[in-house]
Amino acid sequence: MTAPEAAAGGLATAADGEAPSGNREMTYLEAISDGLRTEMRRDESVFCLGEDIGAFGGAFKVTDGFVEEFGAERCLDAPLAENAIIGAAVGAAAEGMRPVCEMQFADFISCGFDQLVNVAAKLHYRQGVAVPMVVRLPSGGGFSGGPFHSQNPEAWFLQAPGLKVVAPATASDAKGLLVSAIRDPNPVCYLEHKGLYRHVKDQVPEGEHAVPIGEARIARPGEEMTVIAYGSSVHLALRAAEELDEDIEVLDLRTLAPLDREGILASARKTGKVLVAHEATRTCGVGAEVAALITEESFEDLDAPVRRLTAPDVPIPFSPPLEQAVLPQLDDMKEACGELLAY
Amino acid sequence: MPQMGVSVAEGTIIEWRKRPGDWVEADEPICDVTTDKIDVEIPAPASGRVEAILVEPGTTVAVGTALARIDAEAKPGEAHPDENAANGGQAAAEPAAEAAPAAAETAPAATEDAPTESTAAEAEGPPAEHAPAENGEEDRSQFYSPVVRRIAGKHDVDLEQVKGTGVGGRVRKKDVLAYIEAREGAPDGRTERALHIESPYRPDEAEAARPSEAGTEAAPAAPAAAPPQGVEELVGPTRREPMSVMRQAIARHMTESRRTAAHCTTIVEADFSRVAARRRELRDAMRRRGVNLTYLAFVARATVEALQEHPRLNASVDGTDIVYHDDVNLGIAVALDDGLVVPVIRRAQRLSLEGMAAGIADVAERARAGRLEPDELQGGTFTITNPGQFGAVLATPIISQPQVAILDLEAIVKRPVVVEGADGDSIAIHPMSYLCMSWDHRGLDGADAARFLGDVKARLESFEVSG
Repeated sequence: MTAPEAAAGGLATAADGEAPSGNREMTYLEAISDGLRTEMRRDESVFCLGEDIGAFGGAFKVTDGFVEEFGAERCLDAPLAENAIIGAAVGAAAEGMRPVCEMQFADFISCGFDQLVNVAAKLHYRQGVAVPMVVRLPSGGGFSGGPFHSQNPEAWFLQAPGLKVVAPATASDAKGLLVSAIRDPNPVCYLEHKGLYRHVKDQVPEGEHAVPIGEARIARPGEEMTVIAYGSSVHLALRAAEELDEDIEVLDLRTLAPLDREGILASARKTGKVLVAHEATRTCGVGAEVAALITEESFEDLDAPVRRLTAPDVPIPFSPPLEQAVLPQLDDMKEACGELLAY
Repeated sequence: MPQMGVSVAEGTIIEWRKRPGDWVEADEPICDVTTDKIDVEIPAPASGRVEAILVEPGTTVAVGTALARIDAEAKPGEAHPDENAANGGQAAAEPAAEAAPAAAETAPAATEDAPTESTAAEAEGPPAEHAPAENGEEDRSQFYSPVVRRIAGKHDVDLEQVKGTGVGGRVRKKDVLAYIEAREGAPDGRTERALHIESPYRPDEAEAARPSEAGTEAAPAAPAAAPPQGVEELVGPTRREPMSVMRQAIARHMTESRRTAAHCTTIVEADFSRVAARRRELRDAMRRRGVNLTYLAFVARATVEALQEHPRLNASVDGTDIVYHDDVNLGIAVALDDGLVVPVIRRAQRLSLEGMAAGIADVAERARAGRLEPDELQGGTFTITNPGQFGAVLATPIISQPQVAILDLEAIVKRPVVVEGADGDSIAIHPMSYLCMSWDHRGLDGADAARFLGDVKARLESFEVSG
């Protein structure tokens, strides 16, 4: 591990007085910020652009203090035009920069869809031009944000070859995957679940910390069944496993494209019972792909049908009780696990 | 009892139109109720199968009281346990066309609400074993998941014999694995089981190769003489089972050994205090290295050392020759569910105490898992067996031919013993065990056996780790 380069005169938010290569407890949000800052200090070609990310520090304060440290030209306030933000990033990336776009809410990425899936994702295939860019996508519900501020759009991008998609569940992975996404020569969609921002806290390596894209993580080892999850559902699965006190393995996918096929199949083959869980809607979701992969590749190791726990195919309601009914809750997770265990 | 107008507080059941087991559609009249104002038909609140009627005709109950229970999860046309019991056998024997009216007699609701075809099909359907279980769960005892089928195929398991603990009696992966484990013995060695039964068994391959056995090969152990007439009645009910192949082989070899060797048994008593102390000393460190240090390993180690000093014990009788072996190939008797095998630890003189412990655990584990190579069961020069696990204190084992001796480690038990001290004799509590060795008087004499056993005993009582 190399220590980060000293931030000359910058805002030293990275825990003054602590060893630079040690760990520090951070929230998921702080870890994203730390990853972004670490890479911007390390590599001059990294810059951010998005709505209200400059002077205001971003809707969720991920880039708080960035203008002061890196200057407004590396933390660009963009107009309310996602297509322009992503389009500008594609151009900069094609020219060798490493832009990190922030969608204020993941829901708004539909406005930038064309630049992302038609231009960014295909430029290397068509012209051999690398597009090393990251699109940060604050996603997920659970706070009564309604149908335009609560979505989990990751599955759309799994159908656009040329894009990578990551979705960290822990603070440590939030930093490590953001760093890897920035360094990756391909466009990477980075799903950051808003519900985890300030509720998830763990030890994060300071300075250099990269988590490889494409590697799932066994968040909890077990023998009786596997919950394959990512993002917020990982925590739901871990809590359910604890409360049920059963021998449940929890596999945190971390990367959704490309999927860690070996990791998924190894766990499925071990337990023979798999529940795929995510907060996103059901049809053609990540769970569908994972379930298909398992049945195609390890049918003879299955002891139960691969099941899914997802939101139903409906918009996310504004009403708190309705939203609770739509999004998978802890009790739903426990029930789904219980059924598979009993099967 | 639904609320029928603001002022109605109670109602009386006149008549039920459905019976338990009947299918009812939502809003279909299910019963008639009279109140002090009007008589009304009560519609079913949901589609489903009537599970139970809770209020009998003529009874008056308050508004809000449950009148009946409807199983909304039930499927129309799906057999109800009662219907099935009534119709199953009879209907299946009749042509489909006649099955429908037969079903209609006992299950009117089924014909009212479901098309005739489906009723007939149902009556023709699988017999009772596929009917829902009493608790409403679908019987899944005949459904086997892909992994269960694969494991069963690999291990040659008849799945009909495996009891399912999953939903509807389904055989789960863990059920079939538990079945195999029970059948083949715990493969992980977590539970240390007895390594012995009375006498060792050698596989057929070895025997067939020896000319001296050729004549007896075709004649298994002589069948017991037919009991005299009438004795069977005195014995009472019996059960007759053919011996397994292994059982037959053990019977043959043991009888043959008894006939061949001049068996004698010599017994010494050994004090295991030093061994116990040394074991406590070494055990944790070895455990960290994945080795379970057993008393048997100490005895095996001491025996191997002593055998090198007493070559007459590490020998075979071949006709009028005695064949001395340079290596100690130590047979360890391992008990199986029905029978035993004696895997051989080759060149055991090269093994340290730890190597011996690991070697014994390895062959024992593989013996129970049925994963020994045929060669591993042959070529032994001396055998140790260990029935002490079951608390046995003395035995006279049968020698495994063509070896000349078999050592038997019995239970190590605390006994009062006289110890000599500076102040004279006193009585102390020590862990003691008998070392019982059967030996072949053709190849050696009592003095040889006693000297050898004395050597083993001395080594155990002054145990030092060498190597």
